[in-house]
Amino acid sequence: MSGNPYQDDRGNKDASITNPHGQGTLIASGTQVRPMPGGDGPFLIGENMTGGYGKAGPDILHGCTIAVEKGEIAVIVGPNGAGKSTAMKAVFGMLDLREGRVLLDGEDITQLTPQARVRYGMGFVPQTSNIFTSMTVEENLEMGAFIRTDDFRKTMEQVYELFPILREKRHQAAGELSGGQRQQVAVGRALMTQPKVLMLDEPTAGVSPIVMDELFDRIIEVARTGISILMVEQNARQALEIADKGYVLVQGANGYSGTGKDLLANPDVRRSFLGG
Amino acid sequence: MDLLNGVVALANFVLIPAIAYGSQLALGALGVTLIYGILRFSNFAHGDTMAVGTMVTVLATWGLQAMGVSLGPLPTALLAIPIGILGATALVLLTDKYVYKFYRAQKAKPVILVIVSMGVMFIYNGLTRIIIGPDDYRFADGERFVISARTFRDMTGLEEGLALRTTQVITVITAIAVVAALFWFLNKTRTGKSMRAFSDNEDLALLSGINPERVVLVTWLIVASLATVAGVLYGLDKSFKAFTYFQLLLPIFAAAIVGGLGNPLGAIAGGFVIAFSEVGITYAWKKVLVYMMPPALEPDGLVQILSTEYKFAVSFVILVIVLLFRPTGLFRGKSI
Repeated sequence: MSGNPYQDDRGNKDASITNPHGQGTLIASGTQVRPMPGGDGPFLIGENMTGGYGKAGPDILHGCTIAVEKGEIAVIVGPNGAGKSTAMKAVFGMLDLREGRVLLDGEDITQLTPQARVRYGMGFVPQTSNIFTSMTVEENLEMGAFIRTDDFRKTMEQVYELFPILREKRHQAAGELSGGQRQQVAVGRALMTQPKVLMLDEPTAGVSPIVMDELFDRIIEVARTGISILMVEQNARQALEIADKGYVLVQGANGYSGTGKDLLANPDVRRSFLGG
Repeated sequence: MDLLNGVVALANFVLIPAIAYGSQLALGALGVTLIYGILRFSNFAHGDTMAVGTMVTVLATWGLQAMGVSLGPLPTALLAIPIGILGATALVLLTDKYVYKFYRAQKAKPVILVIVSMGVMFIYNGLTRIIIGPDDYRFADGERFVISARTFRDMTGLEEGLALRTTQVITVITAIAVVAALFWFLNKTRTGKSMRAFSDNEDLALLSGINPERVVLVTWLIVASLATVAGVLYGLDKSFKAFTYFQLLLPIFAAAIVGGLGNPLGAIAGGFVIAFSEVGITYAWKKVLVYMMPPALEPDGLVQILSTEYKFAVSFVILVIVLLFRPTGLFRGKSI
């Protein structure tokens, strides 16, 4: 696959000697733990990003720019394979950028590892495997607050107020919850670090329409507390309705961008991505 | 009276030895299951880690004995255990730094690490033999019995004696204390929870700011301690011989898998299941049966299902049965 002989298990499926469950795939691109001075601009911006997975992988993003202002919701939409998730991962430092830079609050974080970015106020909710299934809801939240040394009970209380169902189920294993509840745990876990920016990779994938509406409502509530939100969404129409800023990606580059309302009104966008 | 004699004989020859052996296996299996859960491979070097820890303890015990230090009725080895733990920890941490760490950085598939651990096993194996030698060493001292068979007979007037060795009592008490401490650590402390989180989902643990190298370090510390304690208890109960410890790997793995790999509770249950079956199947039941059954039905043979040389076969038969009918183990571990 990657040509690394250590990553070839030669078809071994014997789980009595190996435990692939939960093994990490994340290879951090950055090397630095401290941001560099950047410049002015939006609160978070991935500027002119070009890059792909791995050292030699083909470019997926071609000069793509994504930005979000404080307390706003930015949504990335686009057809399958347009590089929506990749763009978000690039902003979070999960792939090598060959060109472009990422600025957070005026500081250049392009060379920071994802873990370091968490410490600088970015919260990330992956699309899949985004909770600790074998741990209770409360333990999930505690792990979210792992880097905090102060008392995080107040934040946990806020998360429980935002998602009341989690308080009810706080002693239950997170893996036993329904899809929508799991997404709430995932968002709650990311909120525990008190991030300045929350990044959501398809938060409504695989949940019912009713749960989806509720999740969007919660996301708006989070944004109202001053946290910027950057999310990738499949349900383009609904996502753009709540978005302050929308980005339509086409083949790894910015196709259209504008306020959510503008994009919804744009006849080209409607025809190509929203089904008329 | 006959029934009572039968029960005493059963306790003396089956229950007490199996409980002690089961505790030792459980401690060993806990180490295997922790490595499996967190470092994601079956550590074939575990038996030899036990041997190294015990060897250091034995050497320290001899040193203490030479200095005239003793714990009175308790074995001196109990004092030497911390030194043994230190020795085993130093060795596994060095191994991790110079061997396993490289493969972790490569994100190597677990099966590669299994093979690597086999190489480590051979190195440890040789190390033990070079330092202490391949022979059988006894290092238990102090009072041998809590109750000897003769005292018991005199006390109760029964025909059968019940011997309770000091080492057996120490084994069970230590095992309970260690297991309680481990469960408290894993479920209540921040570091323990971060280990469980890392085991559950490495990427998400990383995104939560958990430092993987620290998790690995703590895991090795715990595993080396568990291995040393298990090894010393086994050695006190029987004797220390490098080859026996290497062989112990088999029932320990059986125990971990039967209980459900990756599940600490399962490791303990598995330890006792394997110990009771091993002792039960290789014990000559004639004595107990003679007491318990009417004289007309008295058995002719020894009623020993398998001779003691085949005791490892027992673990494996159980292993095969469990893998066939309940592949995740008795307690739901990682599915196989």
